Amino acid sequence: MAEAFLVAKDLHKSFNDHKAVNGVSFTIGKNEIFGLLGPNGAGKTTTIRMLSTVLEPDVGEVTISGFSTRQQPDKVRSIIGVCPQELALYEELTALDNLTFFGRLVGLNSRETRAQSMANLALMELEQRAKGKVSKFSGGMKRRVNLAIALMGHPKLLFLDEPTVGIDPQSRNKIFETIQGLRTNGMTVLYTTHYMEEADRLCDRVAIMDGGKIVAIDTPRALKAKLGDPDKTTLEDVFLKLTGRSLRD
Amino acid sequence: MKQLRNIWLLMGKDLKIFTADRAALFFSILFPFLFVTLFNFVMTGVGSEDSRLQLNLATREPPTGISYQIIAALETVDESALKPGEPQIVWLKDYEQAKKDVEDRKLTGFIAFPENFSEAVLMGYGTELEVIYNPSNPQATAALEGMAQGIASGVGTQQVVNNTVIGLLVEKELYQPGTAGDLAQSIRAMLTGQAGNAPESSRISFTTEKVGEVEAINPANFVIPGYLVMFVFMTASFAAQQITKERLNHTLERLLSGSASRSAILGGVYASTAVKGVIQIAIFWGIGILVFKMDLGIAPAAVFIISLLMMLMASAFGVMLSTFVKTERSASSIGVLASLIMAPLGGCWWPLFITPKWMQSIAKITPHAWANTGFNKLLIFGADFNAVIPEMLALIAFAVVFGAIAILKFRTDAD
Repeated sequence: MAEAFLVAKDLHKSFNDHKAVNGVSFTIGKNEIFGLLGPNGAGKTTTIRMLSTVLEPDVGEVTISGFSTRQQPDKVRSIIGVCPQELALYEELTALDNLTFFGRLVGLNSRETRAQSMANLALMELEQRAKGKVSKFSGGMKRRVNLAIALMGHPKLLFLDEPTVGIDPQSRNKIFETIQGLRTNGMTVLYTTHYMEEADRLCDRVAIMDGGKIVAIDTPRALKAKLGDPDKTTLEDVFLKLTGRSLRD
Repeated sequence: MKQLRNIWLLMGKDLKIFTADRAALFFSILFPFLFVTLFNFVMTGVGSEDSRLQLNLATREPPTGISYQIIAALETVDESALKPGEPQIVWLKDYEQAKKDVEDRKLTGFIAFPENFSEAVLMGYGTELEVIYNPSNPQATAALEGMAQGIASGVGTQQVVNNTVIGLLVEKELYQPGTAGDLAQSIRAMLTGQAGNAPESSRISFTTEKVGEVEAINPANFVIPGYLVMFVFMTASFAAQQITKERLNHTLERLLSGSASRSAILGGVYASTAVKGVIQIAIFWGIGILVFKMDLGIAPAAVFIISLLMMLMASAFGVMLSTFVKTERSASSIGVLASLIMAPLGGCWWPLFITPKWMQSIAKITPHAWANTGFNKLLIFGADFNAVIPEMLALIAFAVVFGAIAILKFRTDAD
């Protein structure tokens, strides 16, 4: 693994009596695509929220590029981009308006915002729909706008929380291509999904979460090799073996 | 600086969403305008000729009495010359018949001058005007009482002048003590045209004062402020729906993971709600002044300050409401319900001062009542700036309480 870009140490988070995250620790190397896998309710989203400064951990520490999320949240926010699981968009506005707004919010000036907005929309093959209202877009197009917003300001670390939920294969492939292209350009990516084949295809390493804990962490191939022939075993098999239940529970 | 920039950006975004939403524009801007226009039109009929208020006067004095001149000066000679809402004043020649007509409910009431009125005025001792009324018509009764007070006040001034003149003449020994009564008789004769000369014009002058509710009121003076309060509050309540929607679709959380702090988000939400209120206020007053010829009274600055305070209070309420609800539907329902309950209770649909005392007391729990009372004082009763300071302070208190709760309870979906 390259030098650690993100370090999460013993993260805990509870909501009332429910322990959502229970002692999660891992590191992500620079320029790595790291997968956080697990079924719904495993604690993936809560972990991302803590890493991205939206939530403060009850216990534990996170540093990103040497900046602490507790002590230097503004520094952290200036180098991260977040693509949430939900379509966090203003549907009443156009795609360009959405990108422009979030671009200005991360500190870009008008000219930079305009240039990056158009470039990101082009990257997502949405430049022809730049002035279309998001409410008129298909689910796949909205997902792509969701990702395009996360890329505003050229973040060094991108959090992608289930970016391909409920979309058509064409949009999914486009998102995969984009993520791979971003890594080529030096971006670090944390990717959560409950689609095992996606993680197998994209991620350098994966951590499997269940019940708020990481139950395994390694490269997809190494995890599969623990069960048998890695060419014939799937990550879903690995998850079943480790947790005793299906990923889609 | 960064905070302010973010608040500005958030406010701009919210206003862009607002202007992109035709339904929101209609219900916030056009609908209130149509509403006000309609009700103003309806209320303009009140006080017109068909329902003109009639005030009756009678006297028990002989024809040489001063009261004859007073009534002659006040009596409506040409009804067609009356302005809309101006009362018609009728001279009832037969006191006993007039009294019987009131008892029979053929008349709403009348003011009667007593038999000793002129003598009492000129000799300086007190007398009383009679206000005889039928309690079934409180509006006419109030107007009669107001008019009686006006006459008493005017004649009282004349009485003071007379007594002062007599006192000075006695003091300068131009007349010996004991002859003052003769002098008074002389003055009386002079005033009533009995001093040997033919009466020229009346030497007692009367001025008609604005008394009670008998003055013609531009209905816009209470229709527009009332609906302004209602619609600004309603629009701010709808802001709760927008905030809740943003919380549910996770855009608030996305803002947090960007570079917007919680306070900037709160500031942006509040500022955009407030700006919508300012737009409504500008439109309402603009239409009121330009179209409905409203008079903002002697303290227009106070009118605008109350408007702004009311808008700040309503914005704080909208943000506060968003912290209590979990779904867009509940935000919308509670917002509409709160608006529709507080509007009539707080005097948006009818002036509070015509409601019973107990209702006026209950109304004070609503910010609407304070805003409307302030507007009524300024626009209907001609109060000055100082008179509405309590209303301003009350609105500030409401805004602070609502705002404090909003700040303490504001949350994103991640909280």
